[in-house]
Amino acid sequence: APCARKEKSAGMGRCPPGSWNDLGLHRTLWPWGQGCLEERFPCAGWHDVPLAFFHLSRKVTSIVPESCLLILLGLGLGGIVLAVAKKAEYQLEPNMFFLFLLPPIVLDSGYFMPSRLFFDNIGAILTYAVVGTLWNSFTTGAALWGLHRAGLMADPGVEAGLMDFLLFGSLISAVDPVAVLAVFEEVHVNETLFIIVFGESLLNDAVTVVLYKVFNSFVELGPAHIHAADYVKGVASFFLVSLGGTAVGLLFAFLLALITRFTKRVRIIEPLFVFLLAYVAYLAAEMVSLSSILAVTFCGICCKKYVEANISQKSRTTVKYTMKTLASSSETIIFMFLGISAVDTSKWAWDTALVLGTLLFILLFRAVGVVLQTCVLNHFRLIPLDRIDQVVMSYGGLRGAVAFALVILLDRTKVKAKDYFVATTIVVVFFTVIVQGLTIKPLVTWLKVKRSDHHKPTLNEELHEHAFDHILAAVEDIVGHHGYHYWRDKWEQFDKKYLSQLLMRKSAYRLRDEIWDVYYKLNIRDAISFVDQGGHVLSAAKLALPSMPSRTSMSESSVTNLLRESGSGACLDLQVIDTVRSRRDKEDAAMHHVLRGSLYKPRRRYKASYSRHFISPDKQERQDKEIFRQNMKRRLETFKSTKHNVCSSKNKARLKEKGCPNLQTNSLHLSAAPVLVMVSSEEEESDSSETEREDDEGIVFIARATDEVLQGKTTPGSLDVCPSPCIIPPSPTLAEKELPWKGDQADLAVYVSSETTKIVPVDMQKAWNQSISSLESIASPPGIESGPQHRRFACPVLEEQPQSASQVMPEQGSCFQFPSHVSKSGRSQSDSSPDGAEQQELQPLMATEEQGRMLPATEPRWLMFNRASHL
Amino acid sequence: RLCRQLCTKAMTPLSQKSSGTSDQLHQPRCVCFLCSKENFDSIPDLEFNPIRGKIVHAFFDKRNLRQESDGLADEINFEDFLTIMSYFRPIEMNMDEEQLDRFRKEKLKFLFHMYDSDHDGKITLQEYRNVVEELLSGNPHLEKESARSIADGAMMEAASICGPDQVYEGITFEDFLKMWQGIDIETKMHVRFLNMETIAHCY
Repeated sequence: APCARKEKSAGMGRCPPGSWNDLGLHRTLWPWGQGCLEERFPCAGWHDVPLAFFHLSRKVTSIVPESCLLILLGLGLGGIVLAVAKKAEYQLEPNMFFLFLLPPIVLDSGYFMPSRLFFDNIGAILTYAVVGTLWNSFTTGAALWGLHRAGLMADPGVEAGLMDFLLFGSLISAVDPVAVLAVFEEVHVNETLFIIVFGESLLNDAVTVVLYKVFNSFVELGPAHIHAADYVKGVASFFLVSLGGTAVGLLFAFLLALITRFTKRVRIIEPLFVFLLAYVAYLAAEMVSLSSILAVTFCGICCKKYVEANISQKSRTTVKYTMKTLASSSETIIFMFLGISAVDTSKWAWDTALVLGTLLFILLFRAVGVVLQTCVLNHFRLIPLDRIDQVVMSYGGLRGAVAFALVILLDRTKVKAKDYFVATTIVVVFFTVIVQGLTIKPLVTWLKVKRSDHHKPTLNEELHEHAFDHILAAVEDIVGHHGYHYWRDKWEQFDKKYLSQLLMRKSAYRLRDEIWDVYYKLNIRDAISFVDQGGHVLSAAKLALPSMPSRTSMSESSVTNLLRESGSGACLDLQVIDTVRSRRDKEDAAMHHVLRGSLYKPRRRYKASYSRHFISPDKQERQDKEIFRQNMKRRLETFKSTKHNVCSSKNKARLKEKGCPNLQTNSLHLSAAPVLVMVSSEEEESDSSETEREDDEGIVFIARATDEVLQGKTTPGSLDVCPSPCIIPPSPTLAEKELPWKGDQADLAVYVSSETTKIVPVDMQKAWNQSISSLESIASPPGIESGPQHRRFACPVLEEQPQSASQVMPEQGSCFQFPSHVSKSGRSQSDSSPDGAEQQELQPLMATEEQGRMLPATEPRWLMFNRASHL
Repeated sequence: RLCRQLCTKAMTPLSQKSSGTSDQLHQPRCVCFLCSKENFDSIPDLEFNPIRGKIVHAFFDKRNLRQESDGLADEINFEDFLTIMSYFRPIEMNMDEEQLDRFRKEKLKFLFHMYDSDHDGKITLQEYRNVVEELLSGNPHLEKESARSIADGAMMEAASICGPDQVYEGITFEDFLKMWQGIDIETKMHVRFLNMETIAHCY
């Protein structure tokens, strides 16, 4: 994080500052020189350490919101600094806040805003943001003024007129997105409520800043010099600033989308463009005194669709994590500085009546405002907001750093009561963040607010939602009513016809479809979870896997990689089985270790948890044992599909060529063992080894097993007992000893990269289709399937594995029965099973295997290998 | 055109029915309202709707019209039209749990009937594929193959939710309900006819 900020400060330095000032930037953008920045940023860096600490201690943060802890920590740190240096060293500077700390947070929330949800609720959000903020500002300001006039504010230092109080009211009514996000992200209320509160807090910042500026200029003018025209100007500037800011945001969103369309050859700077243009949007809006928050928000919301379609997968990941990191660090720094600033007593003056009055009024008027607005809004909303929602919304009005920064910005010579206002603001921020932030979670639980169930998006859901959209649009068309759906439909058509075509790459545009996207994402997720092998993903989702490459083959995405890696374990197994077949006592252990080794690596790489702060749950390690057992079975199944598809491909001949030397080494290596390698099996052998090669890229073997352990482990007769792999201690790599062809991975990789994308997808698609076609005809379970299966030799390893697996996961419906009599009979017949016939029967069998995954209960599944003849 | 105008006129009583008062339902001027499929097909705005056929079909589906018999109606009158429209009613604040549940089921039934084109009470794989193909027909660059694979993937997913047997016979309505658990259909299948300017047309 510090590094990123450094970079940013350097980036800022590069921008020519002179031009901004010339153009009438209302805030002095560059009050401190480069040296000042240098001095400031290193010190900010170590503030992230406590954040990391908090993240570690989840127990604390599950009760106390992080923002509270950070403020408390800031208080503590500030106290120490104050005690040592006698004056608060580090203050939250408004300029730093607005120029460096706020933009990442706003961009993050804009970019990752669920745009559909946002636009669905835009009416409510806008109402709360605009009307609500105006209401809050005016009522709070007026009430405080009344309090002052009534003589309740004892301290004579509070010299303020109506305008001062209105100014204060405007800055204190800003519901802060940082605080709201920090609290509500942990509370997990339902998404409608969340988007309304959060959207409001985002947009009302803009309103607040505008109001603040208007009142500030009024105060500076002095009440005597304000004419009626000025009020009109104030109102006009309000609209101008917010709409102008939005327009700037849209403009830059358009630019950004357009630029990313042409970055195909400069992939590495794609993320940079995203950040840079968003930041330029912020600065540009700031420069012409438009609402920069709105600019960044809308830039983020609007560009996302096109940018995500244009940039590469890696850039997408980079953007995502960089943005989240920047936002988190900004947030941390803000709250810490808030704590530190509060300690410096020289900056503020206390007036009890003002503080208490403000606290009371902001709570009261927010509640009243919410209730009133909801009353009106519910007439227009399809899903009315009920009382509980209203309570949460009024209570969720957390004030935060924006209010604080605004109050610090006040000019002491113009606003006489600034010190009092500062004190009040600090108290209000502390109260809302700490007290409300602490109590909102229990409140939500107590009120039984509908929580959001964080279920993963399903394909069905997406399909139905699309169907809904079309149905609703159609119904509106039919009745001739131009409502929301009508316009949305029209917009989508416009977008499809013009915008997308203009802003998206041809390749991206062709495939652009939301359903496809969900399908694609689900498949990637399946692949990831397949690699991850939580083991809890039910089988059905996985079935979608083989069809994935149809997209892969068309696009440049990394699904192939995922596929490849997900398949790799399986292929490795088989290779081991094939080659070390002779020493059966060894093969189990060897395979286990190879598998285990390959299991570790992907899991480390794809800890696919996308929470803002927590990237990887580390409890997985201890699940290794269980997961491993489940994996093995699955991987073997996958292997079958992968392998046999490759078998049927046209590249067979070439594969054979490539595979032959391999085979040679294998058989040479195994020459001591009494193994009978049939000539007819050579082709298959080569195929399997080739498959293995394809899938091998990027996997580093760390399988280990000592020979002693392997030998002492099992007796040749104990075929039906699965040796536990997990007790074998780490030792010299088995793969290096046993599998000599592992050495030449370098040239394998070359082969892989050129071929895999072409071979696998097509064939897997084919197999998939076959499986589906058999799925249709499954109503009458065909007898032919049992026939070949009985003749087939069941691999002993497989025979054991499902048993152990079924012990591990008895609760899952998808565990497969593995009738032992079949395998026995299969083994006895194995010698006589002809090779060629097997090849032909392969596909139907494959298909049933796919079936069986869905049909575990009704149809016992038999895992067979058609390699019988090798023995 | 005619249909559309008539439909527009239908708005007033329609919205009243939606809100529960059906007093003005049988006003004479609306009784003569009859629609045939051709009328629907001639609505220009529908032209770009990828699942146009299915939707229009749903309007003439006798199951949706709460009639005993099966099959398609040739024409629907105004009352039928209102019946269809009532599927798109928004929920109201004062509904209790039971009402909400029934409400939800009705909406889902409409959708289910739309998918179940052969009226056998099951959504088979083929039917589902057809729906998906139509849904994706708006994008000319996606081939049928991909639509199929999406439908298949969705079917698998459905199978994992409702139990594996169902895939072969198709999704029944009970399974369909199961699939929708946890998804707020109440918040989605609504049309709000707020704009009452059409009253002017009527009078």
